Amino acid sequence: MLKIGQLRATCCDGWTRREWLRAGGLSLLGVSLADLLRGEGAKAAQRTPPARSVILLWLWGGPSHLDTFDLKPKAPSEYRGPYAPIATRAPGVEICELLPQLAERAPRYALLRSLQHTSNDHGVAGTIGLTGSNTGAASLSGQVLPGDVKPAHGAIVSRVLGFDPVTPRFVTMGGNLHQGKRRITGEGGGTAGGLHDPFRLDYDVEHGVKIPQLDLIEGQSRERLTSQRELQIAMNRLADQIQNSPNVERFDQFYRQALALLTTSQARQVYDLEQEPEVLRQRYGRFRFGQCCLLARRLIEAGVRFVQVNWSSHVESVEDTGDGGWDMHDRYFQVFQDRHSWMLDQALSALLDDLHDRGLLDETIVVAVGEFGRTPKINGKAGRDHWNDCYAGLVAGGGIQGGRVIGSSDRRGEYPASQPISPADLFATVFHQMGITTTTLTGAGLTPQGAVIEELL
Amino acid sequence: MPHLRTLETPWRWRMWLASSLGFVLLGQWTGAEDSTPRLVRLTRDGHFKQRPVWSPDGTRLAFTRHRGTDMFVYLCDAQGAQERRLTDRKEPEFDAVWSPDGTRLALALDKTSPNQGDIEVYTISVQGSDLQPVATGDGKLSHEEWPAWSTDGQWIVFTSTRDDNQEIYRARPDGSERTRLTSDPALDAHPCWSPDGQRIAFATDRWGDLEIALLEIETGKLQRLTHSPGLDDYPVWSPDGGWIAFASLRDRNFEIYITSPEADQPANITNHAGWDNFPTWSPTGEITFVSNRDGSFDLYTIEVGKNTIGK
Repeated sequence: MLKIGQLRATCCDGWTRREWLRAGGLSLLGVSLADLLRGEGAKAAQRTPPARSVILLWLWGGPSHLDTFDLKPKAPSEYRGPYAPIATRAPGVEICELLPQLAERAPRYALLRSLQHTSNDHGVAGTIGLTGSNTGAASLSGQVLPGDVKPAHGAIVSRVLGFDPVTPRFVTMGGNLHQGKRRITGEGGGTAGGLHDPFRLDYDVEHGVKIPQLDLIEGQSRERLTSQRELQIAMNRLADQIQNSPNVERFDQFYRQALALLTTSQARQVYDLEQEPEVLRQRYGRFRFGQCCLLARRLIEAGVRFVQVNWSSHVESVEDTGDGGWDMHDRYFQVFQDRHSWMLDQALSALLDDLHDRGLLDETIVVAVGEFGRTPKINGKAGRDHWNDCYAGLVAGGGIQGGRVIGSSDRRGEYPASQPISPADLFATVFHQMGITTTTLTGAGLTPQGAVIEELL
Repeated sequence: MPHLRTLETPWRWRMWLASSLGFVLLGQWTGAEDSTPRLVRLTRDGHFKQRPVWSPDGTRLAFTRHRGTDMFVYLCDAQGAQERRLTDRKEPEFDAVWSPDGTRLALALDKTSPNQGDIEVYTISVQGSDLQPVATGDGKLSHEEWPAWSTDGQWIVFTSTRDDNQEIYRARPDGSERTRLTSDPALDAHPCWSPDGQRIAFATDRWGDLEIALLEIETGKLQRLTHSPGLDDYPVWSPDGGWIAFASLRDRNFEIYITSPEADQPANITNHAGWDNFPTWSPTGEITFVSNRDGSFDLYTIEVGKNTIGK
């Protein structure tokens, strides 16, 4: 749009009458309309936000920053942990030896080494990490902090772009997040409304892609919904359930999306990982997180704008009867070394490569972070406890400058030594790259939070 | 070509290595047939696995399989068939090892969950009954794990955090005479016995990152075995005592290496871009390990001592 002062009244095609007049006047000076349009096109191109989509790899349970992206080899052994740092392809940047594939890809991502916030409770920290705020957060003890739960980052994207009844704006891969048996808050629409809750998908090695939303249709499975007649019966059943539901509007939206995912062959193909070459599936890793990362790429390609991949639904490790989260108060190194490290290394590296090879990395921001880090001092159980005062994360793509480290921690990784960064700052930067400004947010009835991390851009 | 078991001293090892290289070069020059070591895939289910261990007579294999959120011990025959679960327990169980007579296994159990770290070592009959404690937390929240049975059946070595740091202990199979063997602020992990019962090999980060160390039980004398820039872990002693296999990240990829207890230059025996880990020796001197070289995670056995060095 051409700007003359603050006039923004537009014609139906987006130009004001005055702008048309100005264009006509310029033509008298030898500047053709085509020239003008080219100039405006160039300006528009400059203004186009670099990022279109986001993939958030949510490392639930809290990875240790000292064993992933911020090693302290000179610290005493009760701090440094059993792993050595290795050089990466980014000069001067070192990460853990258990992440060798990521080391090769360092020019594509930036590391944040001074993340911090105010809570070491999974529930509260999870809400802070996913919404940028602790309002409405529920702690392990059940205490609920004052204020309304703000929308999750993905819900903000959905709210700003508007609900799409066919293609979900916001997809979360994995079940509801828990600490212990308590669900956390902040995974969905919050104050933006349930309409912007994530559409959920999941994957398991034995059954492939799962669509929990289809559980709305009692007694049905995706495999059975193959004929028109079965589909009709299922949808009629769903309609009956919706009629009897107290959340009619929300169910109706899910109904529409479920219907679209079932009846549109193109949509059904999106979550059909069998269409991917076996070699690529192996590159991501034949384990849940790896295949979820691959599905995230497919969803982004199909137009989903924010995909959140939950590493697990529970914070606890399998040995602790969880589902494999990062919350290893004991045996941290055993689990990290045997499974978590190389799963993260392989899947995230494959995702970065795949997005890059398809030309999608320039327009897709990839964030890998947990709700906090872990205690720099190793506890008596060969584990590390919760640590919110300083932790690390990774961000790539969408115009983020790779090969650099933003912020630093002190010599034991206990506190930021420079440039403390909050989760709200991180996502203010993500939104900035997507063209979602404070004006956009307030215009959508949302509260802007955090400050853009200029060093990432 | 000498069998691995004859390679018991460093000078023999070096002679064999030299002759191996000579054979390889000669083979290339003369166009002799491929000398790739024999590799056998034992399982095909693709689920993640850890710590395979052969029964003393080599007829059965115990291993831990992760399936969704389950983590259970399975037994199979030497061909990977005739598989069954060891127990019907619902809580995680893992890292089972055979008694020398093949009638029982020692394993780690999550006995009372959820618990944040209360893992204990028990023995159980091969039929999956008669669970008996070896090392429990005695009411303290600690983890006892990674048991290994001495070849005379008199001791089980394991790790424990009962004294507020992960150290190595040994006890009789009935849990009596528990003794702490290491004492260092560093992490000590994954002990295994020498066949003569005089030493244990284990991983420790007391020199930086994880390296393999040897400890003489009676004297407490400690010997550093590996000096690599990358992680070395999961040592296992060959049945004849001449070799130690271990997993290493020194090439920025998990591979299986072998070395002599006299600290010769370790040799990479897997040489594959895939993830190779959790080595164990068969009674006949082959090495079984977990690998994702075919995409998903399965058990493989590789021949050792026949053109597997220096490739």
